[in-house]
Amino acid sequence: MLKLKQLALSLLLIGGAAQANDDALIKKGQYLAIASDCTACHTTEHGQPFAGGKAIDSPVGQIIATNITPSNTAGIGTYTEQQFADALRKGVRADGARLYPAMPYTAYATLTDEDVHALYAYFMSAVKPVDRVTEQTHLPFPLNLRVSLFFWNALFLKAPGYTPDATKSEAWNRGRYLVDGATHCSTCHTPRGMLMQEKPREAFTGAQVGAWYAPNITANATSGIGEWSQDDLVTYLKTGRLAGKAQAAGSMAEAITHSFQYLSEDDLAAIAEYMRSIGDSSAPASGSSRFQQGNAANSTAFRGAPLTFPDDHAGARLYSGNCASCHGTLAQGTKDAFYPSLFHNSATGAANPSNLIATILFGVQRHTAEGDVYMPPFGAQPSALNHLDDRQIATLSNWILHNYGNADVTVSPEQVAESRRGGPASSLVMFAQAGIAAGALLLAVLIIVVWRRRRR
Amino acid sequence: MAESSLSPVVIVGTGVVGVVIAEQLLDAGIPVLMLEAGPRVSRAEIVENYRNLPLAAKGNPIECYPSRPWAPHPEPAGAGKGYLQLSGTDSYAQSYVRYAGGSTWHWAGTCWRLTPADMQLHSRYGVGRDWAFDYATLEPYYTRAEYQLGVCGPDDQALQWPPQRSKPYPMPALPFGPGEARFTEVVREKLGLNNIPTAQARNSGTSYDDRPACCGNNNCVPVCPIGAKYDGATALSRLEARGAVIRDNAVVWRIETNAQNRIEAVHYYDPQRQSHRVSGTLFIIACNGLETPKLLLMSADGRNPDGIANRSGQVGRNMMDHPQITMTVTLEEPYWAGVGPVVNSGIMETSQGDFRAEHAGAYFRFNNFARNRFVTFDALQKGLVGKALDEEIRRMTACTADIVLAHEILPDANNRLTLSDKKDGLGLPKPAIHYDVGDYVRRSLEVYSLPIANRIADAMGATHRVFSKQFNQSKHIMGGTIMGLDPANSVVDAECRTHDHPNLFLPGGGAMASTACGNSTLTMVALAFKAADAIVKQAQEA
Repeated sequence: MLKLKQLALSLLLIGGAAQANDDALIKKGQYLAIASDCTACHTTEHGQPFAGGKAIDSPVGQIIATNITPSNTAGIGTYTEQQFADALRKGVRADGARLYPAMPYTAYATLTDEDVHALYAYFMSAVKPVDRVTEQTHLPFPLNLRVSLFFWNALFLKAPGYTPDATKSEAWNRGRYLVDGATHCSTCHTPRGMLMQEKPREAFTGAQVGAWYAPNITANATSGIGEWSQDDLVTYLKTGRLAGKAQAAGSMAEAITHSFQYLSEDDLAAIAEYMRSIGDSSAPASGSSRFQQGNAANSTAFRGAPLTFPDDHAGARLYSGNCASCHGTLAQGTKDAFYPSLFHNSATGAANPSNLIATILFGVQRHTAEGDVYMPPFGAQPSALNHLDDRQIATLSNWILHNYGNADVTVSPEQVAESRRGGPASSLVMFAQAGIAAGALLLAVLIIVVWRRRRR
Repeated sequence: MAESSLSPVVIVGTGVVGVVIAEQLLDAGIPVLMLEAGPRVSRAEIVENYRNLPLAAKGNPIECYPSRPWAPHPEPAGAGKGYLQLSGTDSYAQSYVRYAGGSTWHWAGTCWRLTPADMQLHSRYGVGRDWAFDYATLEPYYTRAEYQLGVCGPDDQALQWPPQRSKPYPMPALPFGPGEARFTEVVREKLGLNNIPTAQARNSGTSYDDRPACCGNNNCVPVCPIGAKYDGATALSRLEARGAVIRDNAVVWRIETNAQNRIEAVHYYDPQRQSHRVSGTLFIIACNGLETPKLLLMSADGRNPDGIANRSGQVGRNMMDHPQITMTVTLEEPYWAGVGPVVNSGIMETSQGDFRAEHAGAYFRFNNFARNRFVTFDALQKGLVGKALDEEIRRMTACTADIVLAHEILPDANNRLTLSDKKDGLGLPKPAIHYDVGDYVRRSLEVYSLPIANRIADAMGATHRVFSKQFNQSKHIMGGTIMGLDPANSVVDAECRTHDHPNLFLPGGGAMASTACGNSTLTMVALAFKAADAIVKQAQEA
């Protein structure tokens, strides 16, 4: 009887310890899911967490994010841990079909077995299953043939896991592990080749992401963020802004809102340490960075005539009517930089004006512990503060660039129109279709040649 | 020019009442056509109009909304000069905007509710009229109005006006500026009066409804340049994206009835004075309390010789407002009005009491408009120049304040809007208004509000005080299509539906049977929600 009691007690203790272990594991998995920003794609604006359905704009067409809740009918409820790991790190679904690399599995390949285990525990036991099947993705031919990704993966996917660099500090390795893996920074910030693969030699030197430009974040003082201190980087990742330098918008604002602000101080410091070690071999030897461009400037020569009066002051008028109420008549912003200055500002100082155009067209939305940041859009949205057309946005952008920003840059109405459409389209579809047509033609020629030879 | 019906429901007017009703109809899947007399202009254009004004004109909110010749509204010069033909002891000199989006373009955003007592003046105090329903009936509509407009207000029940609420405000109250904080302190300590945060349609600390947060820059009037304050114009593009058709520069001049005396169509002039006919099954006239009765009177026909909806003879009568007196005080210590929104607090408790059997209640407001715009002229008149001028402007900006005494008024059939024989740009009659604030208000000033104002000035340490010489208007137009249960002495029923025409609705301030002392817009919107429920029901039955 005593033995039985002891047995029951020890079982209870084991059970309790197991429960605590599970909780710790799930918590770790949740942290990794936040670091990986799964929600950015897999949760719609007012939808249930991870239920998918969000259409992700890619240069080759819209890709619908899937339901990754543990639903047996609509989600990943039936996935084994191995299947889960393969989807995450190899881009292979449980049914063997290949995922499109819009899912950053080339980055998640870095995740260790231990972390994949924690993620699996979190998704399977702490995420609420949602039995709603998402729509299918329909990309144009031949990208609709997922089998083509077999070859793509063979070319561009690395082996799973992370091998620490013993010559570097523990924090540096932790930073690299996060940057290359969970936080998948290169997915946006590294330029891509013709087959949409990341170009490793140009890592973090900046790339177009739809209408936005993910800028150079190497440690180069001219081309990148080399003039930022360790604390600057941590502040930016926590708040989405760095007074007198930059502010997060577009998908970086989402990454701050949903992911970076929740990372531990140690992890943010580790990320900063690693990023500050990344060089840019193609950067110019000297020159001023995008954070140093421009100055406060005023022009009131236009004052007195109506907004719609057509003359040389159209840009100044547009600035006054649409921007000056927040950013100031000198573009100086506010003292607390809640409304940023438009000089010494990455969006207006860069050689690529995409972020200025996109900010005007789509506005800025960011939520952090600091509070809510909302700049209204000026595009065709019902919520636009004023509806500006392509020509007006080009005129306004040029006024801003030439008076407060990078005066060497000029924006055309066509560029604005392209941003309005969601940014430049990839020529991959055309190349692939042309390639297949050329291949078919070659095959036809070969068949004819072989057939003729046989006849002889 | 005849025109086929585009939509079963036609809304005349795109101000806050019109757009709120349109949104309710769209929610119910009912298509909407909206007709707007004035132009559709961008916010940037109005902002630039304002910036281009000389300083002397900046104090008048109407100056950056120039009338179009076909849709005049009252203004000191231009097409709207002399538009209102005024007579009587007091001057009903209103201002409002005939632009798409309506007069909320330049409102302060104040969103006071009525109290239960405000709606029962006759049964409680033997004066004025009772409403067709009580506060409890209106309360859910107030709540919907507050969430639609995005109203910020205090969480503390002791600071809420009135405290009878079913839901908290959607956003927290905005903080007081230094002038308001000091004012609140002195009236509480020296007079025992509670200066409470104004409930206001302004985004506080957060974005709301895809509009940014208020940053307290004191630009609310004549236009919020960033849309942090709700105005009707912020809804127009959203309504269109949802399928509403909005036609601007369409001046409705006639409401047409059929043999059953139902409304069959409305007729509008375009700017070239070509007439167009729009038929429909349900009609909503939401042109504010002055243009709506004018249109009803203009549309008189054989079946309705005194005007549409006017069998009671009450159309255009009972014109009301909040007659106000401004006390400008000079102070020894700097108060600094002007930090934060232009209206951010008020003493409301002085509007209530058994004294209302004898005289009007009053609401006292520390006006939070920045003072430099006004005091500069006085400083210049002192002949100062250079640094001395700057210093004097600074001193007077800090050490002067306007306290507004806003009174309630009773409905009086003799306060009446009629059609003038003077014509506007399209040849339509200008409105004529005969007005007298009445003994109820004058007695309040004499025995009640002025004595309180003087005590407030003493408490503030005023070294000098000046009162406006006559009652000014608050631009809160009420009463001209008054609501009631008895068709013999009222124009609309409890749903703002006309007693005479079952398919004609006149929601808004014209229906209000009492004014209380607080601004009328939130009550207008609450009435719009109540009417919208009835309109949706009626449209679905049709």
